[in-house]
Amino acid sequence: MDLQEFEAATVPHMNALYDAAMRLAGDQATAQDLTQETYLRALRSFGTFEPGTNSRAWLLRIQYNLFCTQYRRGRRMPLVWLDEGEPDPALDLPSPEPGPEEQTVRELDREAVRRAIARLPEDFRMAVTLVDINGLSCAEAAGVMDVPRGTILSRLHRARRRLEAMLLPELGRVQADDL
Amino acid sequence: MTCEEFRLQLTAFSLGELEPGERQRAHDHVAACDDCASRLLRDRQLTALVRTTTVAVPPDTRTAVLAAVRAEAGAGAKVTAVPAGATAAPDRTRRPLRRRHWVALAAALLAAAAVVTAALLVTPAPDPGSPLAAAWSSYHALGKNGLGTPSDAQAERLFAVLGPDSRPPDLRGYGLRPDGWEARDLAGHLASVAEYRDPDGGRLTVMRWRGELPAVARAPAGSGLKAYRWGRHTSYWWRADGVVWCLVGTIDQDQLYDIAEHLGGESSEAELG
Repeated sequence: MDLQEFEAATVPHMNALYDAAMRLAGDQATAQDLTQETYLRALRSFGTFEPGTNSRAWLLRIQYNLFCTQYRRGRRMPLVWLDEGEPDPALDLPSPEPGPEEQTVRELDREAVRRAIARLPEDFRMAVTLVDINGLSCAEAAGVMDVPRGTILSRLHRARRRLEAMLLPELGRVQADDL
Repeated sequence: MTCEEFRLQLTAFSLGELEPGERQRAHDHVAACDDCASRLLRDRQLTALVRTTTVAVPPDTRTAVLAAVRAEAGAGAKVTAVPAGATAAPDRTRRPLRRRHWVALAAALLAAAAVVTAALLVTPAPDPGSPLAAAWSSYHALGKNGLGTPSDAQAERLFAVLGPDSRPPDLRGYGLRPDGWEARDLAGHLASVAEYRDPDGGRLTVMRWRGELPAVARAPAGSGLKAYRWGRHTSYWWRADGVVWCLVGTIDQDQLYDIAEHLGGESSEAELG
């Protein structure tokens, strides 16, 4: 096993894995543990990884499977990242430097969007995480969640319409040129 | 195609996941229907917003994960026995070891924090969180890691956002060979990033995304090609049809300017920064 090869294939995706873990687990401590377990599991199964295929999708599949089989069962908290009105440890993550008013407004917008995503059902949220945030194709996301591609498309479509309904004021603030 | 049919296919169309025939029908419909064009715009606004919500892995978590991986690899772990995604009982015996890693890493983190702080003091960081700052980071990372090739789906999304002409421009006439291109998220903006090399190993990076020119790259008056200094580097910027272009690299700087002018920037240069 070439550790360098493993790290080259997987370490660039650690931000994505941690971000997905936060969306699945809902708290920093579990997200850290889930990220670490995913990397250890990936290390042991690296022999099954096909070079040239999407290593991020491969890692996300391991993580999602791990979450479904070992973390979800033990959860005591609802599958929501940020509850309304409740301070969340995620907000203690390194945030952009204190800066101009524009930056503050942008952060508030982000927070509203995070809350809206967190309120989605878990299956919808995962589809959004995989496709809209991580740029996987629907076929790749289907491989991660072990469902047909059409199911991913349907979940995404319904998730986006729900988000749209929740975020209409924020959508009004985005300029067309921001797309 | 009716509006109702388009509404049902909006997400698939927006993602570039429709079959060619259906895609053409949807494209024709949205070109002729203002209501559905607005729906498509809102859908793209939504995904742009969603992409701004990512969180980065905290540095101590990153360090701990790497330490755990190296400890496990060093312990002679078998690496082919477990298929990806297979379930197995958690290895509880590893947990105390990982806790020791957390403790042992504390001192190293303090030292690393001092280095990072020093680096931040000398690195120009215009408008943190902006596409410009993200482009700057991306340019530096590319120097070490290089680029790959986008998947078909990523390429489709690039075409959908930036237009059908978002493939890397052909610069062989300037003696530059393509060295990969990718779809990247630059502060929530889906960007096309292409890398080129000259025969001497000099590099050129071409980045494009839909948005406004960063404030520092706007000239006080006039339009066209702008120059903005990033330390020893000069980057050239312009905006055409809503798409921001940024060229930066270590190739001959006169040639860099010629290429920027050739690709679309006009010659009203304004030196800023």
